[in-house]
Amino acid sequence: MFLLNLSPLEFLAIFGALSAFVVTLYLLSRSRKRQKVATLRFWAQAQAPVVSKQRRRIQQPLSLLLQILSIALLLLAIGQLQWGTRDDAARDHVLLLDTSSWMSARVGNTTLLQDAKAKAKAYVESLPASDRVMVVRAEGLPGPATGMEEDRRAVETAIDDSRPGAAALDLQQAFAFAEQVRRLHARRAGDVVYIGPGRVSEEGLPLQTPVGLRVIPVETGKVDNIGLTRVGLRRSDRDPEVWNVFVTVRNYGALPRTTPLAVQFGGAPIANKAVVVPAAKTEEFSFPFRTKAAGWIEARLLEKDSLPEDNRAVLEIPALKTAKVAVFTNEPEALRPALRAHPQIEATFYPTAQYRTDVPAAVVILDRFSPEAPPKIPTIWLEPPTPSPFRARTKVTDAKIVRWRADHDLAAGLRSQDIRVPEAQVYATAQGDISVAETDAGPIVVARPSTRAVVLGFHPGRSDLKFDLVTPLLLANILRWFEPDVFRLYDLHGGTSGTVTATLDDDAEPGSVKVIGEQQQLPFTMEGRTVRFFAGAPQTVRVISSGREQVHSLSLPDIAVTAWEAPRSAFRGIPGAVERAVSRDLWRYLAILGALGLLAEWLIYGRQRNRARTVAPAAVEEVSMRQAS
Amino acid sequence: MAAQQLLIDQALLEKLERLTLHWQKSFPGLVGGRNASRFSGPGQEFLDHRHFHQGDDYRAVNWRAFLRLEKLLLKLFQVEPRIPVRILIDSSASMGTGEVPKFNYACKLAAALTYVGLVRLDTVCLQAFSDTLAGSCNCGGGRHRFLPAVHFLNDLQLSGSSNFLQVARQFSSNYPQRGLVVIVSDFLDENDPEKPLQYIADLGHELLLVHIWAPEDREPPWTGELDLVDAESGVHLEIDANDQTRAAYTKAFDDYAKRLQTLAMRTGGRYVGLPANIPVEEAIFGPVMRVGGLQ
Repeated sequence: MFLLNLSPLEFLAIFGALSAFVVTLYLLSRSRKRQKVATLRFWAQAQAPVVSKQRRRIQQPLSLLLQILSIALLLLAIGQLQWGTRDDAARDHVLLLDTSSWMSARVGNTTLLQDAKAKAKAYVESLPASDRVMVVRAEGLPGPATGMEEDRRAVETAIDDSRPGAAALDLQQAFAFAEQVRRLHARRAGDVVYIGPGRVSEEGLPLQTPVGLRVIPVETGKVDNIGLTRVGLRRSDRDPEVWNVFVTVRNYGALPRTTPLAVQFGGAPIANKAVVVPAAKTEEFSFPFRTKAAGWIEARLLEKDSLPEDNRAVLEIPALKTAKVAVFTNEPEALRPALRAHPQIEATFYPTAQYRTDVPAAVVILDRFSPEAPPKIPTIWLEPPTPSPFRARTKVTDAKIVRWRADHDLAAGLRSQDIRVPEAQVYATAQGDISVAETDAGPIVVARPSTRAVVLGFHPGRSDLKFDLVTPLLLANILRWFEPDVFRLYDLHGGTSGTVTATLDDDAEPGSVKVIGEQQQLPFTMEGRTVRFFAGAPQTVRVISSGREQVHSLSLPDIAVTAWEAPRSAFRGIPGAVERAVSRDLWRYLAILGALGLLAEWLIYGRQRNRARTVAPAAVEEVSMRQAS
Repeated sequence: MAAQQLLIDQALLEKLERLTLHWQKSFPGLVGGRNASRFSGPGQEFLDHRHFHQGDDYRAVNWRAFLRLEKLLLKLFQVEPRIPVRILIDSSASMGTGEVPKFNYACKLAAALTYVGLVRLDTVCLQAFSDTLAGSCNCGGGRHRFLPAVHFLNDLQLSGSSNFLQVARQFSSNYPQRGLVVIVSDFLDENDPEKPLQYIADLGHELLLVHIWAPEDREPPWTGELDLVDAESGVHLEIDANDQTRAAYTKAFDDYAKRLQTLAMRTGGRYVGLPANIPVEEAIFGPVMRVGGLQ
């Protein structure tokens, strides 16, 4: 037996002070009482005056004893006297309620989460009233639903409000969080209670379990599930209008299954196929299709199972963007083959006489033409006559390109050293200009980022250059440099929430990588070409690197595949009556006894004093009548 | 009393209009009263004969008897004289003790008796006293003179200690005409008040002793070690009170009240004892009427 709120010394000090105070009041109140009366003559006749020798003696010791005893009982109630040892006193428990994606699986008429909620409430009800409980929703990342609460209603409300998430359970992080909570917030460490089926992600398998772990398992029964784990879309390298759909299906059951897989684009079927997936295996299927339009592509497993959330995945295909190019030339046939080589370029040819600055295009090509008012949009100057923004220094013939600016996007992939130019102008570079290609006499391809202009000192379609691969590549690099969004390569992935891994291209610059969610940029880690980020909720995440954008449509739940076995040292199940009875609160009974003691003292002693002060009117009247007669 | 106004409701006043102050003694006086007197006077009803003396009114000579007996006999007529009513109100400090205010009760009772006298056209004199006679208020001539009496009673203050001997001396000198003397008091005087009361009665006044006590004046509720303080003198008395003491106290009080009653009856007066916790109306129409103070 011990006091929860007071130490023995504190109790004795308070009790001693209160007792001394009560005794003092008692002696004062029960000492000779001064009373003003109308006359003393009848008192003098009634009894000779008596002067008490002991003025402070206690006249009603039982009354005082009852009062002090009642005060002691009330003080013990305030100090929360506990039955048992201090080790069995009120404790703080952390309740880890599994809200991972697996908890939405249906077993019979109920879901696993509903079963877990019922067991969580049963556990909370089994605890002593003084114990505090913190509800933590455990999935990919643990999140506290309450603080350390004594209010059972608040705890049960938090349990009822829990919903299955989209990520797989990371039990390692949940246990670490529970340990931290116990270390920082618990008055006395209680149990760390995990309520769930114990299906964790591979990364979330706990390396060690906390002390005082209690596991309340949720029986999964026969969960028969087959679901999509990944859906990918990749544009064909040969034809931008052709997409390859990759669908990955996993069978979580113990038997091989054949299930119909339907893939649709904008409601139109792309593929409809019965796929066979062995037990506990993952199979990948691919389907090509052609589209130029934007739309939604949907993959669906047409089968009912325990977990319908992973039977459907949706991906958004962006529209094929094009770059509008206005070409002012008097010899359009010289440039037309090079510009038509890329389907994302819409070239419009105008005579130089029709030049205007407000031409509806994103890029302007001026073929040997220098207008008085230069364009205000990105411009490619081909052998511009004087005057032009680029100052020609000299003219060379049969010049050989000896150097490419290989570290710049404008010269990406251009390494040819045997290109000979029959005739070319050599330009003087200004500050900020980029020399893309040089001959021994100087730069013949110069880019000016400040005005977003590139000048070519030669005409790519006039000589044998038009048969060389360098010509379309150089034009493509220039256009990509002007319009990077148009020529960005897209990879579309449909995956699961939680920790997502994306692989970048070999030439991706680490500084250009961005991971953008639906609301904000997401933090990520990068190791080589691998980018990892965490998406706790279903959403679309874009991973942007130089020249490529990966769209991760994380609409599928992250289904854990690893079963965790609780260690033997862990407690199991809901604590029984014997465990609950170890520590008991006595303060209610003590408070009632104390109050009853004070009431009894008043009834026995206090009421008599009050009664003595009251003269019954009937008796007085009787006397008065007698006197009057 | 200034803050504690007399509260006599209209219903009680209407009931009081049926009553009459009554005295037993025969007092000489002018006609106009209601109680018959054994003293002769200018009345209408024949009372007696007596011998004619020089100076008597010839008109009252019974000439028929003179012719028959040749003696001058005078006819005497019964008279109902107007008698002064004097109400003495104890305003000593002892009247302020007790949970039920005795002084307020005494003032209410005095106001009620005054109203009864005014209704019957009696002359009423309210006289406060403690160790000596204090202020007084003479009123008569009808009920419309009741308000000054109420104001007088409202203005009374408790002060001093009772001294009936001094009061009797002053009363005999200030009020030589005999009449009805109503003394409303707790009669708690350190000196014995019986002799002064006897002195007033010996002067021919008729006493109506209205003895008022608080419940704790007769049956003290206190027990244990008590330090009693006299409200008038401030004298302390330390006693150990128990049931026996309280019973002895009550017996002493009753004995004292009995002596007062004996005194009143011996002198031709009346005594009525009233605890202050019974209503004034009940006291008037009960004990006061039973003893004949009112009819």
